[in-house]
Amino acid sequence: MSQQLQGTVKKSSMGMGAWALVTEGGQTYEIYKKSVPDGLLSDGQAVRVSGKVRDDVMTAAMIGPVFQVESFETV
Amino acid sequence: MKRFLLGLLFVAGVFLALGSFPGLARQGIWDSIVLDFREDIPVSERDAALTAIAQQTGITPRLNSEFSVADNVYVMEGDRETLQALQRSPVDDLTESISPNYEYQAYFSPNDPDYAKQWNFRSINIEPAWDETKGGGVTVAVIDTGISPVPDLEKTNMVKGYDFVNDQELAIDDNGHGTHVAGTIAQSTNNGFGVAGIAYEATLMPLKVLGNSGGGTVVDIAEAIRFAADHDADVINLSLGGGGDADVLREAIAYAHNKGVIIVAAAGNANTNAASYPARYPQVVAVSAIDSSGSKAPYSNYGAGVDISAPGGALAENDPNGGILQNTINPETGQSIFLPLQGTSMASPHVAAVAALVKSVGIDEPDEVTEILKKSARVINNDELNYYGAGHLDADAAVKLALKGQITPRDFFRWMKENGYLNLKFWFDGGVVVLPTKIAMVLGSYLLAWLLRNYLPWFSFSLSGGLVLGSSGLFFLRGLYAFDLPQAPFRVLGSSIPELGSAIQASPLLNPLTASLLIPLALIALFLGHPSLKWFAVGSCLGVAACLGVSAIADPSMMWLGGGAIARVFLLANAAVCFLLATLAAKAAYQQQEA
Repeated sequence: MSQQLQGTVKKSSMGMGAWALVTEGGQTYEIYKKSVPDGLLSDGQAVRVSGKVRDDVMTAAMIGPVFQVESFETV
Repeated sequence: MKRFLLGLLFVAGVFLALGSFPGLARQGIWDSIVLDFREDIPVSERDAALTAIAQQTGITPRLNSEFSVADNVYVMEGDRETLQALQRSPVDDLTESISPNYEYQAYFSPNDPDYAKQWNFRSINIEPAWDETKGGGVTVAVIDTGISPVPDLEKTNMVKGYDFVNDQELAIDDNGHGTHVAGTIAQSTNNGFGVAGIAYEATLMPLKVLGNSGGGTVVDIAEAIRFAADHDADVINLSLGGGGDADVLREAIAYAHNKGVIIVAAAGNANTNAASYPARYPQVVAVSAIDSSGSKAPYSNYGAGVDISAPGGALAENDPNGGILQNTINPETGQSIFLPLQGTSMASPHVAAVAALVKSVGIDEPDEVTEILKKSARVINNDELNYYGAGHLDADAAVKLALKGQITPRDFFRWMKENGYLNLKFWFDGGVVVLPTKIAMVLGSYLLAWLLRNYLPWFSFSLSGGLVLGSSGLFFLRGLYAFDLPQAPFRVLGSSIPELGSAIQASPLLNPLTASLLIPLALIALFLGHPSLKWFAVGSCLGVAACLGVSAIADPSMMWLGGGAIARVFLLANAAVCFLLATLAAKAAYQQQEA
């Protein structure tokens, strides 16, 4: 089941570097780097994304729930 | 037979005491000799002696410094053989003393050039802990992105691991995170290169579960935990988190915990009020991060589930010094770099490494190790939101707490000090005269007394006096000051029972008449009926046994018997008989007391 989120893409210095999606409500998700749509990872970019939380994935950055983005549009 | 075995045990005990006391080894380090010439001899005679030494050894003694002229203090390079040769040569008559030029050092501080940048090592109070252990014999599994063989891991012990991402044996790091974490635990230290690691004599087991993107699946992580438990890992570090509760992970953690593995994990970097999985599981030590000032790092999770805090660092925009510096790879190029990182990922390996230190001094149960880590942590008051769990990690306090209740040579010094035999002034003043063998003799007597602990009154002055007089003598004299007993006869002699026979000639050789069971035997015969002196007799008997045993191993130089196998056998045989005598006497005295 796909989930929609709106927020800002931010570069994080945790781990060896990670990408965050900070929603308007202030929740931080860690963008699942293994499969990222082209053009998403740009610091400060406001986006609306579609995807799912990966409960089965753990990361070195640990900045929040891991979110696998399937598609996105800039806002 | 039993007694023979006890005798063997005693010899082993002495070896153990010598080998397991790093402080002692350091006290005894020297590579040059001090010649303190008498001031009342003609200068020409002194110069002739110096020339003779230079001709014989090829080394010219030189004044220690410009301030040594008045005291006639010369130093020269030389080893034990040179020292003994000098002490037996005519030069001995021209000097006040010829002695080893001991090197003194405060707590061990490694020579890694960037060690000074590792504020986190000061934060966890590691240097005094290194005095006790460096984690040898303990295996720490690093479940992470793998470990690359960077230059500053060259001297680190590694065992085979596994790459669960690519399903291959070699678990090479393609991200840099795991290598960094491994460095905190066991970076090659005191190798004159790079930075230090905490438990740097421990062995690392690389288990790769996170890909180059820094993420991995719970299934791989669970399998890696089981792999570590099945391949004799003692400690597991999990600098990873996220996701949710998963059966496969929970079961793997329970499995490893039941097998006696200590599991440490990062609390997470979301600055939220709960440790993330897997740190949240009750069998896992959850670690939050502090910065260089000891405050909670801005990113660190806190609150529910956090067990303890450790340095994770905080990188400011223009100041990399707030991070944790280790050797890792640049993921772009694969080249070795020294990189400051921040995160609970960095805090967790501090705790895992100290857990390894605690384990290495003999604490096996994971719950007990956790308890020690928490109890020894520096408590932070007013920690309402549980930022720090039990407090800040303290390596030295943890190791000391772990050693408490165990018998170590160090405990013995504490015990002696508390009983008035040793005071710090003497220790530092007398360091030059007290040879390591002397200390080993006292330690040996202490170990022997420990073997007979069921029969002996542990805190008897009489027994302790006997132990010390029998083994080393010197300490006993100091004790006499503390306890205000008759001093004169002992002060004049100033040596142990076995040395009495050569004390007057001031010869380093042992006299077979006194370095034997004769005096202890006489003491026991005289005092066995006396209510307190009997313990003195037993103690001196054990002390002599230790003195002779250690002499046999370390320096069996004897009058008339020489310094070879004959002297060795003589000393060992007398040591064994003294110990048997003490055992019999202790039993008899004990029964007497009971009756």
